[in-house]
Amino acid sequence: MSAFLSGSATRALKYGVLVVGAMIAFGPMLFALYTSFELPADYPRLVSINRLTLWNYRYVFDHAPVLRWYANTAFVTVGVVVGAVVVNTLAGYALARIRFPGRTVTFMIVLGILMVPLQAILIPLYLLVAQLGWLNSYQSLIVPFIANPFLIFLMRQSFQMLPVDLEEAAVIDGAGRFRSFLKIAVPLTMSGIATQAILAGTWTWNSFMIPVTFTTDPDHYMMTVGLNSLQSQFYTLTTVQMAGVVLLTVPIVVMFAAFQRLIVPSFATAGIRG
Amino acid sequence: MWFVYPIVDSVVLAFQQVDLFNFSQRSFIGLTNFLQLWQDPAFHQSLFITMVFVVLVVPAQTVFALVLAAILHSVGMGKTFFRTAFFLPYMTSTVAVTTVFMKLFVAGGPLATLAARVFGVSNETWYAEPSLALPFLVIVYVYMYIGLYVVVFVGGIENVPAELHEAAKVDGAGVLQRFRFVTVPSVRPYVFFVVVAGFIQAVQVFDQAYVIASNGAILGSPAGATATLVIFLYQQAFRLNNLGYGSAAAVVLLLIVFLGTVLTRKLLPERL
Repeated sequence: MSAFLSGSATRALKYGVLVVGAMIAFGPMLFALYTSFELPADYPRLVSINRLTLWNYRYVFDHAPVLRWYANTAFVTVGVVVGAVVVNTLAGYALARIRFPGRTVTFMIVLGILMVPLQAILIPLYLLVAQLGWLNSYQSLIVPFIANPFLIFLMRQSFQMLPVDLEEAAVIDGAGRFRSFLKIAVPLTMSGIATQAILAGTWTWNSFMIPVTFTTDPDHYMMTVGLNSLQSQFYTLTTVQMAGVVLLTVPIVVMFAAFQRLIVPSFATAGIRG
Repeated sequence: MWFVYPIVDSVVLAFQQVDLFNFSQRSFIGLTNFLQLWQDPAFHQSLFITMVFVVLVVPAQTVFALVLAAILHSVGMGKTFFRTAFFLPYMTSTVAVTTVFMKLFVAGGPLATLAARVFGVSNETWYAEPSLALPFLVIVYVYMYIGLYVVVFVGGIENVPAELHEAAKVDGAGVLQRFRFVTVPSVRPYVFFVVVAGFIQAVQVFDQAYVIASNGAILGSPAGATATLVIFLYQQAFRLNNLGYGSAAAVVLLLIVFLGTVLTRKLLPERL
């Protein structure tokens, strides 16, 4: 077919497909954004810009502990990210650089765990958390998710790509193992560490199965669980639910827009884990 | 350790009887859970639903992603913009996306109406209609995952030497022929990766099905039409209080995912 089309027609066709694709990708989000500014009585009609209002946002903040859910989500996300960066970086460094007995076995175990989906270990994880008395707590949402096999793997790769000479030179100059790690190795793997923070942050912010299972008290909900509960609470108020969707999504979209160049490749490598 | 213990425990639990509200009482019951699974029609149903879901999702997302990636690779301007646009849904929360799609596919809603006009599907609330609920999940799922695989394919296509395309062009091959005979064969390992990774992801589907059940006591609504494998194990463990029985189903999931991963490792070239 295309043999009959001129070059510019083919190009127009290609851009046509891409534009339609982008419209499909953005469409549902723009629908949510627009609807969230509509008065419940106006939905589902299209109304002019000057009828749009912040009514739904005011309503949802007044009738549900949204601020609390935001704070919970932010706190848990920061907790996981900070913990993950420290623990997985150290573990990755140990696996890449330090010779200790059982290193190969440890690495094999990490690779093995990488295959196990969270869904398959949810029940024992729940029992563990319940036995510790951690249901409805921040710990239950943070502590189990700090050490992450994929992130350990990622950091091990980053450290292995560094030439060993630099660190050896530092050691010869009298720096200890930890100092050479902190002053030489860490600054050179900053992009790996940033990738780690982005992945752990997004996974945590969007996580649903874990918080919906480990928290039953609305005061401990994360935004995802809160949004899901809005669905039954404000069943008839589509516009209010859409305000919830926008509140949950905007921080991720802003972060994505800011770090797009770093994020896309990170997730492509993590695709199998996602 | 945080992960090794639960994995071991999930296998141990599969051979035990444990009540959700009295979970320190654990008694070994041998293979009973697995024998029960073997005979449980609800479990068979969940495997069947999961299989149908996977069979619908994997080819759809693979083909769409490959075509979009090929087009994306061949255009000059706006490559980054479109790649970002396609990727955005993957970054957003499953709960948010599912909630929005539920409004779009409600009876009389924009997409339910469109589907009724174009495909003659009856204009109904998709997630409440047993015959449409699973297709609804497929649409929500594919919408979120296409962008991820577009990025994987773009990476693969960038490795195809440009001379191959030039040579084919000289021989008079058009755009479609070049896609079929140059791009597709060159990215075959990536196609394989996306199929297997997509399979592993899709058998674990949970969030979307949970959200359409709206926190209901019984998941997998309407009428069990979306009771996937993970929904089945979740329902057994956390709604019907059979932690041991749910764990046996979890072991089945583990085996399915394990087989998929071993297959990838065996057949995948070094890169990636």
